[in-house]
Amino acid sequence: MTEERSFEELQAELEQIVTRLERGDVPVDEAIGLFRRGEELYRACAERLEAAELRVEELTSRDSD
Amino acid sequence: MAKIAPILYGDRRVYTVSAFNRGVAGYLGKLPAVWVEGEVTELRRNEAWATVFLTLKDPATGACLKVTIARRTYDRLDLGLAEGETVHVAGRAELYELKGELGLRATTIERVGLGDHLLALERRKRALAAEGLFATERKRPLPRLPRAVGILTGADAAARGDLVATIGARFPLTKVVVCEARVQGKGAPEAIVSALRALARHPEVDVVVLARGGGSFEDLLPFSDESVVRAVAACPVPVVSAVGHEQDTPLCDLAADVRAATPTAAGTLVVPVLGELEAGLEASRRRLALAVRRLLDRDRVRLERLGERLRAAPRLLLERRRAALDRAAARLQALSPHATLERGYAIVRSGGEALRAAAAAAPGDALEIELAAGSLGATVDEVRP
Repeated sequence: MTEERSFEELQAELEQIVTRLERGDVPVDEAIGLFRRGEELYRACAERLEAAELRVEELTSRDSD
Repeated sequence: MAKIAPILYGDRRVYTVSAFNRGVAGYLGKLPAVWVEGEVTELRRNEAWATVFLTLKDPATGACLKVTIARRTYDRLDLGLAEGETVHVAGRAELYELKGELGLRATTIERVGLGDHLLALERRKRALAAEGLFATERKRPLPRLPRAVGILTGADAAARGDLVATIGARFPLTKVVVCEARVQGKGAPEAIVSALRALARHPEVDVVVLARGGGSFEDLLPFSDESVVRAVAACPVPVVSAVGHEQDTPLCDLAADVRAATPTAAGTLVVPVLGELEAGLEASRRRLALAVRRLLDRDRVRLERLGERLRAAPRLLLERRRAALDRAAARLQALSPHATLERGYAIVRSGGEALRAAAAAAPGDALEIELAAGSLGATVDEVRP
């Protein structure tokens, strides 16, 4: 479910979760679920970003004759 | 001037031929400069000669006059004279002493009837302009990078050479398609039009240059011919006109999309400099890489900040909950009756019910008194409501 969404969408959801958690009006049981989801989103975003960075490195170093 | 001396035979004064000719030449030389009108015949110009020869003929009587003019002067006039044309020649009478021939030493030659030509040209220019053929809105931009440049030229090696050399130096990969046509004299307009169409039909030609070096007013006339002007305006690909010199404005210059002063200038207009293009491209590429890296860096920073906030949030949330819980516990504690009993109060029950009013009990009733520690059994002695 995280795969077909864009990086921006994932990051927006993460932002929402963090804001909700920081506001602190979340039931404790739900907070754990939200935190887990947040971690998942963070990892997905980080992976995408790394992949993008790697691809840029690859493309710019290629045939820079 | 040396005195021309006769030889004396008795009392007869006899002159040698040379002396006679020199004497007459001296007299002729004193005549004023004049303009002479006539038709040009026997025009002879040779690179090896310092003088150009021609004969002026009076069309009415067939009378002839030999004319000489310095080749440098003649060339500078750039008239492109043809036999049979009517001219005005300015000069002085002179005698070719060796032959005893009378002639005219010309200082300048002017074509007669140029005024009519100019007038016709001006009329045509106004008519075509009224049609909108020269309008700025019609001008098309030149392609940035033509696949092939079409060159329309006469047998004019210099113009063509300049153009090809300029294109080659700027953008060596450009293909050049040259179409040679008769660009002056009879049939030139038709030749130019058909050459222009042929070039425009070429599948790779994206721009056409009309390259024609300087020439006399007449030589350039085909480039002001109505059919040529219309063909230039209607050309499916943009046209650069490099015809004549700076001061000439053949009408095709006005109909063309861009006018170039010289073939070299035309060359710089039609192709970019390969090196500059490459440098520009390389700069764009560097900026591209830089921009995408900056974008990714920004995302990375934002994500990391979010990650930190995410990890800090649950602990904060739980701490806050813990504090709330502690506060609730304290309030609960405060409400407990036990705490009241600790302060010396007691709960008095009668038949299991807590007593709130003295009237609820009667003398002799058994009471249970609960204290902070333990309880007492008692009996009511007196009721004071």
